[in-house]
Amino acid sequence: MAAFLQWRRFVFFDRETVKDPIENGKNFILPNGISACDSGRGHIVLGDILIWFLTRSLQLSSFQAYKLRVTHLFQLKQHSILVSVGQDEHGINPLVKVWNTDKRDSGSPLCTRIFPAIPGNKPTEVSCLSVHENLNFMAIGFTDGSVVLTKGDITRDRHSKTLTLHEGNSPVTGLAFRQAGKVTHLFVVNLEKVQCYTLSVKEYPRLELDTHGCALRCSALTDPSQDSQFIVAGNECVYLYQPDERGPCFAFDGHKILVHWHRGYLLLLTQDSKSPNNKETSPTEKHVLTIYDLDNKFIAYSAAFDDIIDVLAEWGSFYILTRDGKMFVLQEKDTQTKLEMLFKKNLFVMAINLAKSQHLDKDGLSEIFRQYGDHLYVKGDHDGAIQQYIRTIGKLEPSYVIRKFLDAQRIHNLTAYLQALHRQSLANADHTTLLLNCYTKLKDSSKLEEFIKSSESEVHFDVEIAIKVLRQAGYHSHAVFLAEKHAHHEWYLKIQLEDLKNYQEALRYIGRLPFEQAETNMKHYGKTLMHHVPESTTVLLKKLCTDYHVVPCSVEGAYDLCSSGNLWLQANSEEFIPIFANNPRELHAFLEHMIKVEPFSPQGVYDTLLELRLQDWAHEQDPEKKEVLQRAALSLLRSDNTVFDKALVLCQMHSFKEGVLYLYEKGKLYQQIMHYHMQNEEYSKVVEACKHYGNQEVCLWEQALGYFARKEEDCKAYISEVLQHIDLNNLMPPLLVVQTLAHNSTATLSVIKDYLINKLQRESQQIEEDERKIRQYREETANLRSEIQELRTSAKIFQKTKCTMCNSPLELPSVHFLCGHSFHQHCFESYAESEAECPTCTPENRKVMDMLRAQDQKRDLHDHFNRQLRGSNDGFSVVADYFGRGVFNKLTLITDPPGAKAGPGSLEADLQRDLLIHTKRNV
Amino acid sequence: FVAFYILQYYITVILKFASVGKSCLLLQFTDKRFQPVHDLTIGVEFGARMITIDGKQIKLQIWDTAGQESFRSITRSYYRGAAGALLVYDITRRDTFNHLTTWLEDARQHSNSNMVIMLIGNKSDLESRREVKKEEGEAFAREHGLIFMETSAKTASNVEEAFINTAKEIYEKIQEGVFDINNEANGIKIGPQHAATNSSLAGGQGGQQAGGGCC
Ligand SMILES: Nc1nc2c(ncn2[C@@H]2O[C@H](COP(=O)(O)OP(=O)(O)OP(=O)(O)O)[C@@H](O)[C@H]2O)c(=O)[nH]1
Ligand SMILES: [Mg+2]
Ligand SMILES: [Zn+2]
Ligand SMILES: [Zn+2]
Repeated sequence: MAAFLQWRRFVFFDRETVKDPIENGKNFILPNGISACDSGRGHIVLGDILIWFLTRSLQLSSFQAYKLRVTHLFQLKQHSILVSVGQDEHGINPLVKVWNTDKRDSGSPLCTRIFPAIPGNKPTEVSCLSVHENLNFMAIGFTDGSVVLTKGDITRDRHSKTLTLHEGNSPVTGLAFRQAGKVTHLFVVNLEKVQCYTLSVKEYPRLELDTHGCALRCSALTDPSQDSQFIVAGNECVYLYQPDERGPCFAFDGHKILVHWHRGYLLLLTQDSKSPNNKETSPTEKHVLTIYDLDNKFIAYSAAFDDIIDVLAEWGSFYILTRDGKMFVLQEKDTQTKLEMLFKKNLFVMAINLAKSQHLDKDGLSEIFRQYGDHLYVKGDHDGAIQQYIRTIGKLEPSYVIRKFLDAQRIHNLTAYLQALHRQSLANADHTTLLLNCYTKLKDSSKLEEFIKSSESEVHFDVEIAIKVLRQAGYHSHAVFLAEKHAHHEWYLKIQLEDLKNYQEALRYIGRLPFEQAETNMKHYGKTLMHHVPESTTVLLKKLCTDYHVVPCSVEGAYDLCSSGNLWLQANSEEFIPIFANNPRELHAFLEHMIKVEPFSPQGVYDTLLELRLQDWAHEQDPEKKEVLQRAALSLLRSDNTVFDKALVLCQMHSFKEGVLYLYEKGKLYQQIMHYHMQNEEYSKVVEACKHYGNQEVCLWEQALGYFARKEEDCKAYISEVLQHIDLNNLMPPLLVVQTLAHNSTATLSVIKDYLINKLQRESQQIEEDERKIRQYREETANLRSEIQELRTSAKIFQKTKCTMCNSPLELPSVHFLCGHSFHQHCFESYAESEAECPTCTPENRKVMDMLRAQDQKRDLHDHFNRQLRGSNDGFSVVADYFGRGVFNKLTLITDPPGAKAGPGSLEADLQRDLLIHTKRNV
Repeated sequence: FVAFYILQYYITVILKFASVGKSCLLLQFTDKRFQPVHDLTIGVEFGARMITIDGKQIKLQIWDTAGQESFRSITRSYYRGAAGALLVYDITRRDTFNHLTTWLEDARQHSNSNMVIMLIGNKSDLESRREVKKEEGEAFAREHGLIFMETSAKTASNVEEAFINTAKEIYEKIQEGVFDINNEANGIKIGPQHAATNSSLAGGQGGQQAGGGCC
């Protein structure tokens, strides 16, 4: 077969000739005439006449195992048991000996068992030997084609029995035990056939696997990692077998001499095909050793040697023993070196496979992927390169890759990489931004969608950033989708409203948010929404201010919370009023609704509604409708929910007379009512107002008088009516009346004649009366003076014979007072309120005392009142207060007759002036 | 209790020329990956996958043979004992198509006469370099009574279908009784519970049929 049909060839092993440790520079020399060898348990075992042990430090030791020679050796790998076949005497008489190499018997290993190897009854040469590592099976193949199986403890005679397993014509060339779980197989190969016995089944069933066999030493068993396949090296091919069927085959040509499976490698020794004729010229045969890696399909080493005895694996290396006594060691290169070699040839795929089979760590693998990626990138295979770079994710810094592909504007590749990065949750915000930008740049909205939607369970990216990027790129619907999915309500609404202008949708969305969020968002976007979708917005606002609740209140606890927290789930309707700025119609609807369903709506609601109603009223032309509207406005005023000041201003602004008057009345602003009528020149109403409220506010009359007085028109009738009242109630000093009326050009004397006459008459009467009283008081005073004088100067004689109290004759003990009253002591004691006062005179005395005290108090009060009035900013209320306390009662006039006219008169004038000033200010 | 057994099919993948993508097809089918580097198949490689047909679990055992002429004697021995074969050519190389007839003859001669053969035109992803028209492939298949399909081991297009359709065809033949399932030389093995008893029997018969097949 053509030599070019071969796998790639490498030199993964370093070859060295083993030197003698003692004699410097000289080669180590093996014992002569080696007929068998094996290795294991830390030594190489050689057999000629003796059995030799070679240690790692190349120490040789030997013992005599057979008298004549050793033909076969089998060193168990897991036990210090060595099995040998050899001859103690001439002729065909092979003897099996089992040695325990750990135990010594006079210098040599302990021989635990000796038995002759004979199939049936005629002696035959042993061709091959195999021992199961469990020490329970030993198989011996013979040249006559039979196989003898020893079962049981093979180290002892007593515990084992021997049977002939197989009979045939073709010499047995190979035996191998295979253990997989509890199943034991024995592969048997001769020159013609490959067969397999199942030893774990009774009667040891046999299966023929192939109809060609192999030569001696041309079979082996692979590692369990390779499924413990039986290797048979035919001349054209190397075949692999499972216990029940044929496996793959490899066409490694050449005349096979030896097959081994060591440490994952297939070692194949062939006769050098290039020098078939050299047999005559050179005394030694040329052999080619080839080491195959079947997994990765390459040749790890291949070299020619002179006549090889065997290749053994021990101490981590391969040892080649040649017929000329030399020993070579093949040292495997370390993984890194091997990889470097592959890199140099750009054999990255192989490097990756190799690294994996050598269990290279993640870092190492990632480095290979990177190099492979770099290589492909340089070659221009960007698609291939990115595949490799993706495999570096988690180890290689992403920016290394990103920069490369960004520079090259390979957006597709970059996208793939970034996607992978996200899938592994290793993407940062920048990566997300970049990926989204890639999508948008590629206009690949389906991929974009996939990216956004596929990550259902886990989100591999920063959602907010994604939203921003998408929004910027104009992928609004995607952005909106993300925002909704991840409950970024602000973003959702922002995009819906500002970019997509999908108001209805935004509104629907808000309507499904939890209360607080719905409320804030409504405040924020309400105006815009109102502008575009007024009706629906109003509907939502109504809900929000009355009984807003989000539909899903699935959890019971949550439901309780919702229902019990009702109070909190109600927005303040007042706060939404500004939203309606340009939409009175909706505002109207909203407010009407609010006051209907919510009897205790905030002030602002009523005020605004009043304003609206007034506006409507003002604009209404149809008198009938106007009437209705008027009633509506008034009823709102009467509902007592409006703020007085605001309502007043509103009514005034809209010249809503009824409202104004109602409010004045309600606020007890009687002067205002009158003034209102005055302004409107409704004289009869002015007078009416005076009559109506005059009792409560005296100055109304006076003001009415002043008002009429100033009027140029003829309003005598009113003036006289007013005057009558003033006169009747003595509301104004006549002088003031005259002064007031003096302003008027039309008011003739006749108007006040009656009043003046009346007044003067009464005045003179009063004077007379007063003078009479003065006289009387003077007399009384004089009497008192003389009395006091008398009391002081002369002794008082108590002539009274009767008790003033009981009117019975006085008896001692008795009490006498200067006033001339006398009492029985017991009468006095039982009636008198104090010991110092005469009980009869006490009430009179007290009246006088009170009068004096009141006079004093009055003076104080006046000062105090003035001070308070000036200092206060609500003069009206101060005055009202003093009214209430009866400060302005007529009583004072009597107690202090001389100053009666001037005193309180001037005080009242003062007060009225103050009052005017103050109330004017208030209006 | 539902009787449940596993059928095992051997399907040999054969073709003359190297590098038409047989190994890649197999790799794609078993491992679902594509290997861009050509690893020459030396001899016969092997892959397996479980599939389900008609509610039954079936293990497909697939032999990937070397395409090189020089390995023909080795690969030929794998024809027998195969229930089906995929005959693969490369649509970008006319020579691989031209030699189909000789290979078909060779395959038929060395295999079970009932073997199901599917014709595959691979590398359909390389449309720009196509040398063999799809119609030509169809015509050839019709003429020789084969099933035909174009595949791409690279993109995995039709790969799954190619193998599964072949398996289905075999399964139908078993149902029809065309295959003797007790004769292992047909490439059909019954599930493990019967394996032990059948195998010794089948082994003998397999040997008989080997005839001129080997080497
Ligand atoms: N573009 C493309 N290339 C393919 C396809 N299938 C295989 N290849 C390539 O073709 C080459 C050969 O593929 P293999 O599968 O190794 O070919 P093969 O038929 O097994 O070759 P031999 O084993 O030598 O007979 C490889 O480099 C593959 O990458 C395909 O469907 N499309
Ligand atoms: Mg191949
Ligand atoms: Zn008395
Ligand atoms: Zn008295």
